[in-house]
Amino acid sequence: MRRILHVDYSLCIGCETCQGVCDFLHHGKPNIKIYYTMSGLPIPINCRHCEKAPCMEICPVGAIYKDYDGAVIIDPQKCIGCFMCLAVCPFGVPSFDVKVRAITKCDMCVDRRRLGMEPACKEMCPAEAIFFGKPEEVEERVRQRTAEKIARERISTESFESFGKML
Amino acid sequence: MNGMRFAFLCREKPSPTGKKVAIIGAGPAGLSAAGYLVCHGHEVHVYDKLPEPGGLMLFGIPEFRIPIYRVREGYKELENVFEVKFYPNTKISFGDEKEEGDDFIKNVIDFNELVQNYDAVLISTGTWKSSIPNIEGVELKGVYPALGYLFRIKSAKLGHLSWDEVVPLEGKRVIVIGAGHTAVDAAMESLLLGAEKVYMSYRRTIKEAPAGAYEINLLQKRGVKWLELTVPVRIIGENGEVRAIELQKCKLSEPDESGRRKPIPIEGSNFQIDVDYVIFAVGQKPTPPKGADIAIDKWGNIIVDARHMTSMEGVFAAGDVVTGPSKVGRAVLDGLLAAESMHRWLMEVRK
Repeated sequence: MRRILHVDYSLCIGCETCQGVCDFLHHGKPNIKIYYTMSGLPIPINCRHCEKAPCMEICPVGAIYKDYDGAVIIDPQKCIGCFMCLAVCPFGVPSFDVKVRAITKCDMCVDRRRLGMEPACKEMCPAEAIFFGKPEEVEERVRQRTAEKIARERISTESFESFGKML
Repeated sequence: MNGMRFAFLCREKPSPTGKKVAIIGAGPAGLSAAGYLVCHGHEVHVYDKLPEPGGLMLFGIPEFRIPIYRVREGYKELENVFEVKFYPNTKISFGDEKEEGDDFIKNVIDFNELVQNYDAVLISTGTWKSSIPNIEGVELKGVYPALGYLFRIKSAKLGHLSWDEVVPLEGKRVIVIGAGHTAVDAAMESLLLGAEKVYMSYRRTIKEAPAGAYEINLLQKRGVKWLELTVPVRIIGENGEVRAIELQKCKLSEPDESGRRKPIPIEGSNFQIDVDYVIFAVGQKPTPPKGADIAIDKWGNIIVDARHMTSMEGVFAAGDVVTGPSKVGRAVLDGLLAAESMHRWLMEVRK
């Protein structure tokens, strides 16, 4: 069953909760992290578990594979630490771990999924900017949230007639 | 289910350890700690001065950032599935000094009494005291701390306060002092509630604004008048109410040792703007339980050791009350780390 972990940048409020819980689960080395642009806009960067993952295609030793949910996983035993995955990743995600001497990254909370739980960042995001599930379920939810946002934008740019109370 | 899963570490309640923990403050740090502790079998009671758990996520940060259902469904899961007991409208120990959000207090419990009744206590009470500069006219009607201002708007939206008790904004002119996230939120809520004109005054430039240039530009697009390099000098009143504010222009000094550029007021550059409300968003101070015999530093933050324990054995602290105003995520992480340490202490030291 294909499941996706989707981070919506327009819903992110930059509160760093995803980073905090991921940091906690990975003992100080979070796999999702907020970066601030020059204009101060927060952008959470993490593995997007691409369908056609360039890292998987380029890996010279075949250390990168997909699990039953479609999560892109790196096998630390096979990884030779050549950084080719980082070179081709559109998001700059793969990260070298000095302790395991291999590239590591988000595994879509594989241990949690095995126990029937969902990725921790998604569970705790206060803004509901992170989604997890079957693609069609996630898309439905994203559109629902977008509809709410469009409604809010439209109301607040109309003449000020105390619409704020309705929101 | 679309709520935050504070107990994200487990699916269901494990067998009980028999230990009882009290958490003071149901914000992001307190609720995350509660989630960790129930997943490790402890009985958790959460005390909060507000009428419902959530802290600033519910009572401070506007709904267009954090949807209300996210927080509400989140704490309800803690309550219904993990049997966390919430004591709302309850303040632990009481001093004379008022803080933002004190309006809803119905019960007061002595801090030492609470410590006696539990195996461990976590203080996660945040930073609810607003800083207001000592200038002429701050006592006038129409001068508000930003947190108190946002708190009343959110309280009305949440159904805890009648809209009659919220500052009326339709057709009013508002000036917000500051350029952090709270200032941005105060300006945005003022616009959404129908203010005629919103100004923002900041002593440095848009480049230094703590909320970031993106947020300030967004507000300007929505019609907020951005007055950078200005400081409030005095507030002018009429019949006890705000009528105008006098601002002074400043320039930035050369960077000092820390690289910060200080604003230097320019003599004779004063000017006035007619406003109905002045909202100060220039900082929050920590609010640990009053009268508690625990060590604090010179800024009022609770001092903790590497175990997150305060100077009182068995009393831990986490979140903004330790770190000063920060971010939801940092409070969440701090709450989790403190809870982990509490668990270890409860199971090893306090067998």
